[in-house]
Amino acid sequence: MGMLIRDILENSAEKFADIQAVKWLKKKEILERSYTELMENVVAIRKGLLAEGFQGKHIALIGVSSVEWIESYLGVITGNTVAVPLDAGLPGEDLIDLINRSDSEGLFLSPKHLPLLDAILAACPKLRKIWILQEEEVEVSDQKVVSLAELKKVSGANGADADRPSAEDVSTIIFTSGTTGKSKGVMLTQYNLATNVEYVRYTAEPGAAMLSVLPIHHAFCLVMDWLKGFSLGATICINDSLLHMVKNMGIFQPEVILMVPMMVETIYKRLSAADPAIPKQALADQVFGGKLRIIFTGGAHLDPFYIEKFAEYGVDIYEGYGMSECSPVISSNMPGDNKPGSIGRPLANAQIAFDNGEILVKGSSVMMGYYQMPEETAETLKDGWLHTGDKGYLDEDGFLFINGRVKNLIILSNGENISPEEIENKLALGALVGEVIVTGENNGLTARIYPDMDVVQAKGLGETEIQAGLQAFIDEYNKNQPTYRQITGLIVRKNPFIRSSTKKIKRQEALIDEPL
Amino acid sequence: MMTQEMQFKKIVAQYCEVKPEDMKNEMRFREDLGFSSLDFMSFLGELEDTFDVELEEDDVLQVLTIAEALEMMEKLQQEA
Repeated sequence: MGMLIRDILENSAEKFADIQAVKWLKKKEILERSYTELMENVVAIRKGLLAEGFQGKHIALIGVSSVEWIESYLGVITGNTVAVPLDAGLPGEDLIDLINRSDSEGLFLSPKHLPLLDAILAACPKLRKIWILQEEEVEVSDQKVVSLAELKKVSGANGADADRPSAEDVSTIIFTSGTTGKSKGVMLTQYNLATNVEYVRYTAEPGAAMLSVLPIHHAFCLVMDWLKGFSLGATICINDSLLHMVKNMGIFQPEVILMVPMMVETIYKRLSAADPAIPKQALADQVFGGKLRIIFTGGAHLDPFYIEKFAEYGVDIYEGYGMSECSPVISSNMPGDNKPGSIGRPLANAQIAFDNGEILVKGSSVMMGYYQMPEETAETLKDGWLHTGDKGYLDEDGFLFINGRVKNLIILSNGENISPEEIENKLALGALVGEVIVTGENNGLTARIYPDMDVVQAKGLGETEIQAGLQAFIDEYNKNQPTYRQITGLIVRKNPFIRSSTKKIKRQEALIDEPL
Repeated sequence: MMTQEMQFKKIVAQYCEVKPEDMKNEMRFREDLGFSSLDFMSFLGELEDTFDVELEEDDVLQVLTIAEALEMMEKLQQEA
């Protein structure tokens, strides 16, 4: 493996030349791009950017997964330019803000976002060029706006190529929402990304199908579906819509998929609702396409229940842990090295330490810093150690576990530190529990529960019955817990918890119980 | 033979704890039936396959209740 994504890509283009690198659907037809064709397009885009004078500049990308998107991204980062992938689902004004804050001078824009064009042109004065991610000519009067096909033609076959970037150059800026304030641009170097690709060690045969179902601007998808997949010579198949995830598994027959826990939960509902007379293997073939063997999950904690259940259908789920700031994988369970419930062993290039329970990470995949945010960078990166904000521990076998966020820690007067989320995750499994927040009150733990109204209505429960049912559940939970983790108070809420715009429960307002 | 509405509700029931016969048409997928955003997408994908209709992702995001989903589907079937 090399130090640059360019090394990895060139290596794959040579080794896997005739293998399909990308497959996607256009209506009902499957289209394909071989590694050779992919590389030709990447080089043409890279040369075009050089000819247009973009060396050293930042270039944003807006669009959902497409072969044009990934070729453009690779054209940017294999030269001397910096890619800024943006969330295509953001409102126009947010996208404009990020284009400006990232100092982007070029923009790759999906045809679907053409209605935003006028606003972008008006509000982003630094933009010198906008390339629409399509082969067809663009019918726009502004000279700044052309098609991707035109960029590829700018330089010609004998045109000058961009120099190789250096390993320490920033390759990509990924915006991360963070818990408070405005989003931060995570600066990832060539070496950050290349070593994350290298140290996530699993293998797939060249040509093995991977279905990419996550948003491409997320580090997990971009690095682990696309860059890792390309390093293995895999065929990355694009899921065109979440509506069709199951159907597309049947079409592309993937062996590996990266998911977030919510996807696993949804698929499980489909599996468990099927006629019990259907043999499990037949059902698995029907839902997963017949070849699926691995699901990697990340982004949030997955209940190990699902890992056990999916194994019955012949699919192994491996949970991992990461964040954009770490390119993104920090640790992951792997085939042959797996402990359900944990988030796996740290990658070989990641050192782990703990500061009052907070997980700290140091290593070659840790970001350079936040773009133009020295204070936030200094708060997060101290002496090379990245403060993750997550609380966890390593067990005796070296597997990492997460048990909460630093900020939400409840510290009881007996000196015990309690992570409410860990307990909430357990309590949330109760059939009558709709939403739950655990708070530290009167030197004990109180569970504030909003009952699951589906269950309440289905069973026709009254107030007294709800209270009794929940209390019986709490009593059962307490039986298996050390004293300091037992729930000593139960408050049944009349209203759901207040949520933020990102749909997270506002923990600091958990005590307010008024109609929303 | 099962009515189309009952067939539809049987698909809904895969994603929630409410039985088809207890479903009311004004029930909302997310709030009343507890669908996650992805449950909803997966459910619509099943509707496409079962009733042979094609849904547009942008249009379906406007659908909130069982009644609205039934109406959308019937309209698409008539157009087909």
